[in-house]
Amino acid sequence: MEKLWKIGAGSINIRAGRPDAKAGREGSSMDRGRRAAEKVTIRWNGRPVEARAGDDAAAALFAAGIRVLGRSRKFHRPVGLSGSFLAGVKARVDGLPNERLDQIPVRAGMDIRMQNVWPSGGFDLMALAGLIPRRWLGGGFEHPAWLPGASRRFQIWESFLRLMAGGSDAVAADRPGKVLPGKRLAVDLAIVGGGPSGRQAAVAAAAAGRSVALISRGRSPGARAAALGADLPTLPDGVTFLAGHEAAALYRRGRLMVAAPLDGGPAKLIEPARILLATGRYSVPPLVPGADLPCVFDLSAAVSLLGRGIDIGRIVLIGTGDLAGLKIRLEGLGAAIAAIRPAGHLIRIAGRVHAARAVFTGGSEVECECVIHAGPWRSDPALPFQASADGEFRLHAEHLPGHIEIVGSAIEPNEAVVHGPALDDEAFVCPCTDVRVAEIRRLLESGYRHVEELKRLTGCGMGPCQGFPCWDLLAAALGAITGESAESFGHPSYRPPRGTLSIAQAAGLADLVQPEASS
Amino acid sequence: VKASAAIIGGGIQGLMLAFCLAERGMRDIVVVDAGYWQGGASGRNGTLVRPGFSSPEWTRLFGHSHQLWLGLSRRLAHNVMMSRRGYVVLAESDRTASICEQVRRVNGECGIDVRPLSKDELRRRVPALNHGRIKSALIFDAGGTAPHHAVMKGLLAACRDYGVTLRYQTPVTGIERNGDRAAGLILGEERIPADCVVIAAGAHSPGVAKLAGVELEGRPWRLEACAIEPTRASLGPALAMLDRALYMHQTARGEIVGGCELTGDIAGLTLAADLPILAHYARHLVAMLPALADLRILRQWAGHIHATADFAPLLGAHPDCRDLWISAGWSYGIAGAPGAGDLLAKAIVTGEIDDRMAPFSVDRQRRGKPISEGAIVVSH
Repeated sequence: MEKLWKIGAGSINIRAGRPDAKAGREGSSMDRGRRAAEKVTIRWNGRPVEARAGDDAAAALFAAGIRVLGRSRKFHRPVGLSGSFLAGVKARVDGLPNERLDQIPVRAGMDIRMQNVWPSGGFDLMALAGLIPRRWLGGGFEHPAWLPGASRRFQIWESFLRLMAGGSDAVAADRPGKVLPGKRLAVDLAIVGGGPSGRQAAVAAAAAGRSVALISRGRSPGARAAALGADLPTLPDGVTFLAGHEAAALYRRGRLMVAAPLDGGPAKLIEPARILLATGRYSVPPLVPGADLPCVFDLSAAVSLLGRGIDIGRIVLIGTGDLAGLKIRLEGLGAAIAAIRPAGHLIRIAGRVHAARAVFTGGSEVECECVIHAGPWRSDPALPFQASADGEFRLHAEHLPGHIEIVGSAIEPNEAVVHGPALDDEAFVCPCTDVRVAEIRRLLESGYRHVEELKRLTGCGMGPCQGFPCWDLLAAALGAITGESAESFGHPSYRPPRGTLSIAQAAGLADLVQPEASS
Repeated sequence: VKASAAIIGGGIQGLMLAFCLAERGMRDIVVVDAGYWQGGASGRNGTLVRPGFSSPEWTRLFGHSHQLWLGLSRRLAHNVMMSRRGYVVLAESDRTASICEQVRRVNGECGIDVRPLSKDELRRRVPALNHGRIKSALIFDAGGTAPHHAVMKGLLAACRDYGVTLRYQTPVTGIERNGDRAAGLILGEERIPADCVVIAAGAHSPGVAKLAGVELEGRPWRLEACAIEPTRASLGPALAMLDRALYMHQTARGEIVGGCELTGDIAGLTLAADLPILAHYARHLVAMLPALADLRILRQWAGHIHATADFAPLLGAHPDCRDLWISAGWSYGIAGAPGAGDLLAKAIVTGEIDDRMAPFSVDRQRRGKPISEGAIVVSH
């Protein structure tokens, strides 16, 4: 099948959109398409890897059999593409740290290096960190009282800590940098989310003569929904389609929005009269040991791989809702599903460097090469929070301002996070910063209950994801430990711009915005 | 039980004072705070620590404080992660270069180590800097950073060990007066009688003072900061850029944390962050550290300080109300906390006002004795 997207002047027009068509998937389908695709050579930790043009780097590395894309900060656990936790897709690309491999397309000669390794991904002495007992590494392994601050010993220790915790080498000191002048965009309606509901709203507003900007993180927005059979309405020409843009921040009760292109281009400062948040729902990983392993995917990440015709092996599918129907859809994409089970029945996922076995209640075990979770489904609260939060002592989300509305599946109630029949101390609430249930339990026992305090004491949610889904997992752990409702614990502040806006992009907005006058 | 001291504000000033009072043998100390632990400026600041400034008043107080920082881990039996990686002051104009010159002279007189950084050494210590713009650079070799989470954790534990009563998320609704003196706290329905009351409530201090029926000069002032995604060491020392009212450093976790100030008022006491400061800070970074331009901003946040007319802290007894003590008006509160806690505790317990504290008296504006300090990165 030919290319589905026609890209020009910042807008994308969809040509095909039948519900049952495999519309929206990049390239066409399955192995036939893959074989035909143009090949490029990229480098992974210095070694050449053949990749298919058009794939993102994470998919290309997966297709080449590479499962472990990074290492966690403290315990040095293997991490990889998950769709949920970003440390697994952060790597150094062409000398720039912390690039998101699931968002950059491969290009010939691209040099990708694993982070949090030393001296190199091929020969990694930091793997020795895996031998340190985990209970010694609470809070960021940064408080040993036998190395008092301001002592010479501490200065040496701190240098070591900076090497261990920093992830990737610093950028070259002579790397050129410049301001990327931003663009201002005033619209009647800004829609965040390029899935079916966002598109339907865009079509309706454009038909009513409104100026519309549609902001979508995906380079091929709606791909997951389309691959699973949803109808994707065609966008009219009048819609400004900001594909591959992250809605990085909402300021001033939603009167200002910053959209940052993921390819590093100039940021947009959007002044919308109205905003629709059609950000959908995400499958939140089960709070069980092993859910942080490579090859545990949320449905979206799995569909993205399957849709590119990449073999992901024997699958255990867990989730909520109609799993049998989903199984048929996934098999239509070439998936080999070994078992389907309700997410709440999972006790743990075993595997040395990636998921290899799922253990369920009643003692049943299923061998696999990956686990896909499709539920519990929860919406990302960050943008509604930023649009409504206010407070002198703590930011509290209040009612959304009248010009902002949440539409589509994002307004459906959140489903409860699952953690098996009993919460396991070895499960991770925040895999990127290595925060385990055990650490939360210990802090609760010491009298810390406030989520903002727990965040500061553990670093939970302070890594690349900036709180979602880790603060949902934190609340679930607190609820399970105390017997109180998870939601009653709330969550820390979702702070902009969530690692999506570069310094050069932010600098380009300085002339476009003035401080608000003193009231 | 009657409190010996009732401290309003459980940030670094309030906890440090409680700790110092307890060290001097005081018992029945109560600390109350309307927010959560580390929720105020003590959990939102740039964490820079330096011993010297351009005025003898600041330099004597902060020099003393710095000495105490160096021994704080041992006193608290907790690693406060004080890092002596150096604190560099950068000047890009004749005006700020002359401030640097004054800093050298004043610190020499006060016995604080500071030295000019040669171009070569600056190039070696901060290779990514845009060196062409630098007119003058100073380094406090013993300065650096002290992450607030570490010292706050140590103070909390030490205060608990001394039996200090700590109550967060507990707003003070009134300050009880008994004639010309402060006699306790009112927390809704509850009363806490006290021998003395201390206001250490950060940006909220002027509002809290009104509860005792007295004025405190100054007003809340919003600042913002941000953290850039972590990398291994790319900045050695902490940096203060006088011409840009900018400060920054790289944490032990690799994030580059800093902020700058825009001239003019930033409205409101809200903690919601806004775009202008972030964008201007980013523009300063591109100008001064262009190599960082493509790194991404992880998060930004707002916080509030209590800005006095001369930006110096208010430290001492309140002139209009007996038994009411003040530790407020801080903009360099992390650096100054150990010194302030030590000297204010001494004043409360012994009645003796230390010479290093005296210039920061609460009524200095009224007496026409403001302190002139030009080497701080909050604008005048």
